[in-house]
Amino acid sequence: MTFQELILALERFWSERGCLIVQPYNSEVGAGTFNPHTFLRAIGPEPWNVAYVEPSRRPTDGRYGENPNRLQQFHQYQVILKPSPLDIQDLYLESLRALGTDPRHHDIRFIEDDWESPTLGAWGLGWQVWLDGLEISQFTYFQQCGGMDCKPISGELTYGLERIAMYLQDVDDVYDLQWAQGIRYGDIYKRAEWEWSTYNFEQADVDLQKKLFEEYETQVGVLLGLSDKKGKGGALQFDRAPLERLALPAYDAVIKCSHYFNVLDARGAISVTERQRYIGRVRLIARAVAESWFAQREALGFPLLDVLDTGAAAQ
Amino acid sequence: MSSEFLLEIGTEELPASFVTQALGSLKASALELVSQARLGSEELEVHTLGTPRRLALRIRGLAPRQTDRNETVMGPPWNAAFEADGSPKKAAAGFAKKHGVTVGDLRKKTTDKGDYVSVQVHEAGRTTGVVLAQILPQICQGITFPKSMRWGPGEISFGRPIHWVVSLLGSDVVEFEFAGVQAGRATRGHRFLAPATFDLDAASSYETALERAHVLVDLTRRKDRMMEGLLGAAESLGGVLAPDAFLADECVSLVEEPFTVPGSFDESFLELPDTVVVSVMRDHQRYFAVRASEGGALLPSYLNVVNTAQDPETIAKGNDRVLRARLADAKFFVQEDRKAPLADRLQKLESVVFQSKLGTMGAKVRRLQANARALAERAGADPAACVEAARLCKTDLETLIVFEFPELQGEMGRWYAMREGIDPAIADAIRDHYRPQGADDVVPDQLVGAVVAVADRIDTLVGCFGIGLVPSGSADPFALRRAALGIIRIALEGPIDVDLRQLLEHAHAAYAGDAELAPLDDVRASLESFFRARIRAMLKDAHGGDVVDACLGAWDGASLRDLQSRVEAVSEVRAAPEFEALAVAFKRAFNITKESARGPIDAALLETGAETALAQRFETVRDQIREATGARRYADALRLVAKELGEPIDRFFEEVFVMVDDPSVRENRLRLLGEIADTVNGIAHFHHLGTKLQSRDSSVSA
Repeated sequence: MTFQELILALERFWSERGCLIVQPYNSEVGAGTFNPHTFLRAIGPEPWNVAYVEPSRRPTDGRYGENPNRLQQFHQYQVILKPSPLDIQDLYLESLRALGTDPRHHDIRFIEDDWESPTLGAWGLGWQVWLDGLEISQFTYFQQCGGMDCKPISGELTYGLERIAMYLQDVDDVYDLQWAQGIRYGDIYKRAEWEWSTYNFEQADVDLQKKLFEEYETQVGVLLGLSDKKGKGGALQFDRAPLERLALPAYDAVIKCSHYFNVLDARGAISVTERQRYIGRVRLIARAVAESWFAQREALGFPLLDVLDTGAAAQ
Repeated sequence: MSSEFLLEIGTEELPASFVTQALGSLKASALELVSQARLGSEELEVHTLGTPRRLALRIRGLAPRQTDRNETVMGPPWNAAFEADGSPKKAAAGFAKKHGVTVGDLRKKTTDKGDYVSVQVHEAGRTTGVVLAQILPQICQGITFPKSMRWGPGEISFGRPIHWVVSLLGSDVVEFEFAGVQAGRATRGHRFLAPATFDLDAASSYETALERAHVLVDLTRRKDRMMEGLLGAAESLGGVLAPDAFLADECVSLVEEPFTVPGSFDESFLELPDTVVVSVMRDHQRYFAVRASEGGALLPSYLNVVNTAQDPETIAKGNDRVLRARLADAKFFVQEDRKAPLADRLQKLESVVFQSKLGTMGAKVRRLQANARALAERAGADPAACVEAARLCKTDLETLIVFEFPELQGEMGRWYAMREGIDPAIADAIRDHYRPQGADDVVPDQLVGAVVAVADRIDTLVGCFGIGLVPSGSADPFALRRAALGIIRIALEGPIDVDLRQLLEHAHAAYAGDAELAPLDDVRASLESFFRARIRAMLKDAHGGDVVDACLGAWDGASLRDLQSRVEAVSEVRAAPEFEALAVAFKRAFNITKESARGPIDAALLETGAETALAQRFETVRDQIREATGARRYADALRLVAKELGEPIDRFFEEVFVMVDDPSVRENRLRLLGEIADTVNGIAHFHHLGTKLQSRDSSVSA
């Protein structure tokens, strides 16, 4: 099964189970969770079933194309089922069968792995899924997002596509993967890994990244009308009514901040104490977006409550 | 004939620690509610069983029905319920209604506090099934987890989502609902080997029915089976299993039916340090290591405990691949690291923050060298070796391998140092200065390691206390409690004594130029009481809190071994039969003289008899006692006190009245007792010791 056949098999599988198939986000994200189709849709009461590929950037994981297992950009296949159906584990195992992996002939285990994104103010409980000792997926029940309690709960399945493909194709080096017949992963990405590693570790302009971080951070406040004053118990205050806030452009700015922070981190330009401060700053603006998104959807009457059948993915 | 009851809650995969805590709380909850519901009997036996996918409870010896309830229930005060003429008020009617009786059934009960309404309640016991149905939801609500989660609609909180509930009394379903799930008799087998739902006939056939469905629900049996598999597999590989209790507990809680699948790796990876190979296998993959013999060399093999083994070759192949990639990474890191000596990393430590207000790791390392030198000189260790070990002890933090495997800090520093040809005493110290890591870990057994271990911990303690980072409640982010306990344990169990006062002074002085700390006196005051609290916590179980307090009272806060000698000596005499009377007498002497002035004793004012006898005896042994105390021979000192002063002081208190009217006689007596009390207090403060007899003069001390 080539890399693209793997993606197509998952697309078909989840499409047949009632998921919307959408496209990757057109901004730099560290994981599929950052895509607004996950981060924002996990908030509030509206149901949401979606699946997509997410090219995910982890600047610190770059290895100049020299390590057979590590990449600064890899591909996640992300599935969100909200509310999480009771048979979500069975659905996941069925999806492995759709990839030609019969769980009975392998050792598949659900190993405790709680997930937390300090920058997104999000956390959940769940597992990493092991296939014959290889971690192939993350499985998370979101409990909080943007500092807000989730209700209903979204189930998030994240497949590590490169790892699964390496397993299925029986190769030890990611660059030897067949993306399509005759085209290897290395043909497409090896040079890119070297360039991005060189950029992230050596050449990214530190002052520019810091400046961009600050500009985008400011933008979030402007676009949401975020007030400097805090309400009771530190509650965020907004000068704009919910429907006048531009939550989506503001969220893009949050994504940018998070990305510039990651580049600065890879550049070694952030000390341990500064690190915590940066994370706190991103968390604050992510929370402001999350609250604004919720307020907007509420003002709109949570339209998807009527449109989507909550059980679609479970059928 | 009593029936067996079974409760099973089927869930998604629970983490190991969740199962342990959940089963403990389930058992406690069941015991409490069953006895509250009057279902208990002499033979009551509550047992829990569990796997990652189920929590189960078995109760045997339940009474077939509740015992009847006959009791007098008290109500409101009589005159709040009845008028003076005996006609009932609202309160009487309400109380009667609540208990299902008429006002005419209410009786007057006279108590110390006045007259009250009472009623005789009789409630016939109901059958066990009926009662269980009522209390089961509460029993289930008593289950706790380290962390709970919500799922689906998000209304319910549990360790993981709940899928089914079985509740059987004998062969009958006890109906109840928990977390939106109706209890029944349908359970499930192994997720992969017997996934179908099936009905249980009766509670008593639970274990056998599940075993047929590939689930060993009893943890002990499952673990025995797992160990058997592991030991056998190790033997067929021509080696022995490297025992690992923690890993065994972890693995057994990840499977419902354990199988062992052996795997292997290329022999060239054995060039890596054993700890790296074992760490990769154990911490990342949960594999058991195999050695050629007990404590012998590693074999290029591992043992993997899995949940299914239909196709062991496929499983081994997949796991081999994962392990190979991880070991290849480790090998690469080690090769890179060895390109430069450890000392080359000192420069990098200059840009690593130790703590934002306390400066860099580079500065810390310089302070460690100063502290180590001072300590070494006092402990009779080689100062040059101690300083060099202090200089190198943090360098491995800047190696790739430790960045990747933080748990190998120290171990890898030692390994690299050995290969650089560094003095083994120094290399060992790089590893040992992290010891003890916790209550179960050993302390450094060599001088150099012990010196650096103490130097490192005191630097962290003084620095953090100096900027107000004092642990509070459960918050102790710099593990300062553990650091203090480490110093205490090294002094008491390891090769060097520690003079806490000097240590604090040196460590504080070493910060000059690096950070602004609070003044020495302030840091010392708060750290000393911090240490005293740790010492007390550590020694109280073995010796008794009062013994430790008594010794802490007399201790000057300097040598930790001095304190230990006191504690051991007092602990020893405390067991002696004459101790009780002795302690009471000295407590009394202390209490009565607490406020009085000290001064020379005037022999002319002593009464003949008990008073003179005591004074003379004290005069002859006083210097011996003080000498023994000064030489820290506390057991000898206490033996002298008991042997020489026990009888005379008892007699004194029997025969002599201290607080006489004549002020000069009274004062002279107080001076005699005061000097005796002071002498004994130099060893330990006896007034802290708990005694069965209370001092007869306790009122004086009030």
